[in-house]
Amino acid sequence: MILLGELSLWVALLMATWSGLVSFAGGALRRPDLVASGERATYAAFGFVVLSSLGLWTALLQSDFSLSYVAQYTSLNLPTVYKFSAFWGGQAGSMLFWCLILSMYGAIAVFANRSQHRVLMPWVTGTMATTLVFFLVTTAIASNPFERLPFPPPDGRGLNPQLQIPAMAIHPPNLYLGYVATTVPFAFAIAALITRRLDAEWLGAVRKWALVSWFFLTIGIVLGMWWAYVELGWGGVWMWDPVENASLLPWLTGTAFLHSIMIQEKRGMLRKWNVTLVVSTFLLAILGTFITRSGVIQSVHSFAQSGVGNWFLVALVIAFVVSAVLVSTRLKDLETPAQLESMLSREAAFLYNNLVLIGIAFSVLWGTLFPILSEWVRGEKITVGAPFFNAVNIPLALLLMALTGVGPLIAWRRASPKNLQRQFTMPLFGGLATGAVLLALGMRDVYALVCYTIGGFVITTISQEFVKGLGARRTIHGESWPVAALRLIGRNRRRYGGYIVHFGVVVMFAALAGAAFKKEFDVQLKAGESFTATDPWGDEWKFTSQGVSYFEALNRKVLAVALRPEKNGVVQPLIRSEKRQHVDAFDRNTFEPSTEVGILETAGQDVYMVFAGAPPGSDDPVAEIRVTFNPLMVWVWWGGIIMALGGLIVMWPQADRITRESGYAAEMKPQAVGAAS
Amino acid sequence: MRRREFIAASSFMMMQAVEQPVQNFAPMDQGAYRPVKLTAKAGATPQLTIEARDALEHRLKCMCGCSLDIYTCRTTDFTCPLSPAMHRDVVGLIDGGHTADEILDAFTAVYGEQVLMAPKKTGFNWAGYVMPFVALATGAAGLTLLLKRWTARAAAVAAVSTLPVAAGGTDDELARLAAAVRDDGGEDE
Repeated sequence: MILLGELSLWVALLMATWSGLVSFAGGALRRPDLVASGERATYAAFGFVVLSSLGLWTALLQSDFSLSYVAQYTSLNLPTVYKFSAFWGGQAGSMLFWCLILSMYGAIAVFANRSQHRVLMPWVTGTMATTLVFFLVTTAIASNPFERLPFPPPDGRGLNPQLQIPAMAIHPPNLYLGYVATTVPFAFAIAALITRRLDAEWLGAVRKWALVSWFFLTIGIVLGMWWAYVELGWGGVWMWDPVENASLLPWLTGTAFLHSIMIQEKRGMLRKWNVTLVVSTFLLAILGTFITRSGVIQSVHSFAQSGVGNWFLVALVIAFVVSAVLVSTRLKDLETPAQLESMLSREAAFLYNNLVLIGIAFSVLWGTLFPILSEWVRGEKITVGAPFFNAVNIPLALLLMALTGVGPLIAWRRASPKNLQRQFTMPLFGGLATGAVLLALGMRDVYALVCYTIGGFVITTISQEFVKGLGARRTIHGESWPVAALRLIGRNRRRYGGYIVHFGVVVMFAALAGAAFKKEFDVQLKAGESFTATDPWGDEWKFTSQGVSYFEALNRKVLAVALRPEKNGVVQPLIRSEKRQHVDAFDRNTFEPSTEVGILETAGQDVYMVFAGAPPGSDDPVAEIRVTFNPLMVWVWWGGIIMALGGLIVMWPQADRITRESGYAAEMKPQAVGAAS
Repeated sequence: MRRREFIAASSFMMMQAVEQPVQNFAPMDQGAYRPVKLTAKAGATPQLTIEARDALEHRLKCMCGCSLDIYTCRTTDFTCPLSPAMHRDVVGLIDGGHTADEILDAFTAVYGEQVLMAPKKTGFNWAGYVMPFVALATGAAGLTLLLKRWTARAAAVAAVSTLPVAAGGTDDELARLAAAVRDDGGEDE
């Protein structure tokens, strides 16, 4: 199976190459037979990449240490689930995983469009296949997971302990599903540019893919935040590391696209802008991968420096040049007679929303690349860390959140002063009342105060929209509240799903603003000793050490300390933090000791405990412990869940599906192509 | 290995930080530590509270390669030997009566500007801070101008379309006039 997997990688490369060549040729020569052959080769490439992946999975699960990758990322005593997830735990495996998702998306895109968009599809298939060829070549030549060792070791090194966590088993796949999904809209954009069919047709085809990308990127990013929080032990969720920034960039431009696409759908405007956003999102996904894998920028979790980065740089340059040439030679086709009835319109609000999203994307990219620029210009290495990004991006993020509330309140085309007054009264009152109450309660942190005021404004906006919609349904159809709510959302999924996403954004921002009030305590406790602390809500806590314990688990030795918390005299569940030393099957240490944090999660705050260690020399060791009160932290995760739920509602298929066209052969007739071009 | 041995072993590792293979994470640079010392001021008394010291350490980067600041690294990655050493230097400088700015300058003199978690707001670094806002402001100005042009165009078209035919001429003439006012073929986005 392993040999079959290795061979399949090369056959998949052949299939993808064939698919690319004949699809482009079929599109250029208007030959349906070549187009059909290219599409079949796409399916075949997917099949062979699946076989190749099964080969690697077999090697990982069987602990075949003759493969360098298996020896490097697994060990005999590694739990099976992590042997499975080690597939994407290292450079070479993750490259193959990327190929797997890309070929799967290619096959789905071809199948879903087997009888529609027939003029575009040869170019879509060709672009997808060409992208797949790049990834397969890079995998096979520069980073091959099937590379063999001359002398297989008796046991492998094991998976990094910080990757041995359920979130890490699903965080990378979600990010990859999101990153790779940007390829399909990009392929449609290239196809539309080549064929000059730049009306709304290609947009209709890519909207769902853009949503798929956004959905998985959202889940992936939130899971990454959760992983950082529970695994890295520094008590935060986002440190503005280049790799984190790399995942945020395509999310921001993708979000901008999902808003601006509505203007093209409704008004036929913004063709150039939408093409630019689609192409930029794909290029940023590749740029992010380049940053992650090249080591060009120092990052806490970059893949080991390797030649793969150069491959991505070349791919990035080629994709950029091709896109730029196509866009610049199609400017006339991208022009539309743009008109706007009023500056006070939802179109204008969406465009300002786009501007802020792109502004944030630019500032994140700028900050990420600024150390390189500085070194070029001044010859001085600098660090651009969290203080910089927070200083620049928090004001922009607050502005974005405010626009999230403004957009839905303004009518399409033109809003009258009376309409604006009616729409804005309640939300403004909601926002200002929130701010006033918090100020009266003693909140003095400016950013937090502004954040909650804007949050109150946006939530009142969303509530107002729901109340109006529900009221209308109940009046017209006489429905109960639950039925009216289900039908309101079900029959206007884009609109109300979007509001749910906005609600999730507010929940997350409000929770992140809670970091302004976090409190930390560093203590040293022997068994039975206690310390007291006051949390940000003013409650009194007493923590009593239950002592240090030692035990051995499957692939690790564990030193643990537990605290018995009491809140205002009421006993709470135990909190336990561990220091782990992972070992291989021969009891040899595999990595540096790692720390498992202990978290007591409540709606108001997390009590976050980190066991630093216990100095040796006593049977009753002193445990060094850090306890942090992190206000509202659980709402970061709920915000993410709500956003994902909203995204799911938006992209759920509507009942009134588009009637399929009559087959590609009919549309591929020369006169049809001629008419199109 | 029993508990006492493990405690001893893990503590040893924390102090010694033996070289270990890493996956996906930047390798720790053990040799990056450089002592940062200044002569204590005469009659020195600490100028900073513990909170101010921690805030200062949030502005200084641990040079082990972890990308964290000294405070976060030393209270998070307990295997890092650098952040405790850098912390001791900070404490030594505070005890020597030095201010936060003097301590930042001393660290910058030894490690270079990369030891600061955010670049100093001087010279070329201003570009880093200002550029996002300049770009946003430029974009906002450009977008506003564009939107004004679009609204003017819409107003002109609306005015043409409401003219009575008798006063304006034939349908053909009106269509040409509408196209001219719309400026079809011009830049639109």
